[in-house]
Amino acid sequence: MMGRLWRAVGPAMVLMAAACGKPPAPAPTTPAPAPAAPSEAVRAAADSAAAARAAAARRDSLAAQARADSLARADRERSRADSVRLQVQRQSVDTAPPLTAGGLAVADSAALADPIHFDYDKSEVVPADQARLDRKLAILAAHPRLEIRVAGNCDERGSDEYNLALGERRAAAAKRYLVAHGVAADRVEIVSYGKEHPLDPGHTEDAWARNRRDDFVATKGAN
Amino acid sequence: MRRGLLVAVAAVIAAPAALRAQDSSVAAPGGVRVGITYTPGTRPSLAVLPVAPAATVLDSVRSILQRDLDFSDRFDIVVPPPTVAVQGGTPNYGALTALGTDLAVAVMPAPGAGQSGQVEVQLHDVRTGSLKNHLTLPLPAATGEALRLAVHRAADEVVRWATGSPGVASTTLLYVADGRLWRVDPDGEGRSSVPSAGRPALSPAWSRDGRTVAYTAFVPSGRPLVIQDFASGSRDVVPGSENGVNITPEFSPDGRTLAFAHGDENGTDIYLYDVARRCCLTRLTVGRFYDNLSPTWSPDGGRIAFISTRAGSPQLYVMSADGSGQEALARFDYGFTGQTNGPEWSPDGQAIAFHREVHGVPQIFILDLATRAVRQITGEGRNEDPTWAPDGRHLAFVSSRSGTRQLWIVDLETGRMRPIVTTGGARLPAWSPRRTFFSEAG
Repeated sequence: MMGRLWRAVGPAMVLMAAACGKPPAPAPTTPAPAPAAPSEAVRAAADSAAAARAAAARRDSLAAQARADSLARADRERSRADSVRLQVQRQSVDTAPPLTAGGLAVADSAALADPIHFDYDKSEVVPADQARLDRKLAILAAHPRLEIRVAGNCDERGSDEYNLALGERRAAAAKRYLVAHGVAADRVEIVSYGKEHPLDPGHTEDAWARNRRDDFVATKGAN
Repeated sequence: MRRGLLVAVAAVIAAPAALRAQDSSVAAPGGVRVGITYTPGTRPSLAVLPVAPAATVLDSVRSILQRDLDFSDRFDIVVPPPTVAVQGGTPNYGALTALGTDLAVAVMPAPGAGQSGQVEVQLHDVRTGSLKNHLTLPLPAATGEALRLAVHRAADEVVRWATGSPGVASTTLLYVADGRLWRVDPDGEGRSSVPSAGRPALSPAWSRDGRTVAYTAFVPSGRPLVIQDFASGSRDVVPGSENGVNITPEFSPDGRTLAFAHGDENGTDIYLYDVARRCCLTRLTVGRFYDNLSPTWSPDGGRIAFISTRAGSPQLYVMSADGSGQEALARFDYGFTGQTNGPEWSPDGQAIAFHREVHGVPQIFILDLATRAVRQITGEGRNEDPTWAPDGRHLAFVSSRSGTRQLWIVDLETGRMRPIVTTGGARLPAWSPRRTFFSEAG
């Protein structure tokens, strides 16, 4: 049944895409005269009408979905803005609760959290780290409800403030890669910690290299 | 007069190599003096007259005043012995002249004050043998913080009587340590934490009337910009800053607008927030994958200097306050000039202080806007995030020269540097306006 419906809807969607915003062609209401095989003509007309109905229904549901999505997004933005406000008004200093990718397999959890690294003062994903991101793509594809946060970090060199901008660019670079490979943009949140959260407190080239990184955590849908 | 000295000084530091050599060989007592010539003996000699008996409120006032006048860097301070300096309750002009002093400050009970505890501060012109000016300190019941602030204000007045422009003793510095906001006065006293949202709280900035501060707050759900009433601690989020990273706020001189940088996945750009109407963001830069940040206003509010990575590494640019006419401000050589950050426009409008990496280590520089020449102020340790005192001749900055990250103050006229003792790695200082208008937070 589902397969049949999809077969009916599929071509209609192609048609819609081809029409590109123009109103859909009206479905024929009278069967064309087909003396050779009247029953086939009737069936074709019926199929075509069904396809048009399905297309219309699909259109409505897409529009409804888009409305719902945008409302949900607006809701989410509003509630986040509210919580930011609340957290600012609060007297005590609170810290983010630890996030764990509880429901993921251990191997997936580790692969998801595996950081990627950057060259000094650069925000481009290095070729060596593309495989790491590809692994995350597979995990995100296998867990459609999974949402993640990418946190950009910098080494201790450079100013406190500039590193916040640089960290944002580093997180954005990973997000761009994931989105370009099919992950919905609203499943990936980005944050910059600048040089506030070094992994390695050392002052060596090795420590700096370890600290120039994107961290990845699951924020939703991991269990 | 100040600019004349700066130009003379700029000639001393033509090349970086010469400069480094100078740094190691001309280490004067109390710190390095790169790019600044120290000219002892050209300042007036000021005697702070002793009070009797010692260890009274009068003596506390005298010692706070003496330190403020010393830290104003405008005088050579002399403390003559009581037997010489005072004769029958008035300054002994003859003896003071013999000591080579030009001015004298006396602290005494206000005439007719009785038991009210009011204190009179007098400035005498020793050479003409006359009272130049005086004021009465309203000190009833004043102790601790309130007493110190009252004396700081008196000290700023004495400096104004003597030199024509007030001192900066009645100011305070906000800074970040251990992820929280702190304050400390320029004499190193009054250090206390300032209740703030988020951890870390970063990049505090004062409104020009000293009533309000803005800063970046790291809270679990975002990195918004917070505007906080300094006295009451009440605070609000800048609308539109709930998303992305929101950094480097600076209030316009008229206080109506807050410039800051907002970063998201499309890059970091400079916006204006209308503080007066509590709404409305105006975008000034369009980066697309490069950053624009750290806006700093010219005192007339007409221009904004800022940092941009449009040419690769962060460097100093300037634009009109409406975002037009963006151009590089401090000359730089691509791939050679170090990263430039933390700019702050001077109160007199003639210079911009910033830090720039020299062989990977940040140092304080000053750009002279008339000539567009830059000169290096520091050379020992890491030195970053300069902030101007309201007098336009002192800068506070962060330095690691003592082995731990502390706030230091440099007087650009004399080159004198002194630390303000802080614990726990101070950073991102912001020097307040003079505290003449607002009451203190508890």
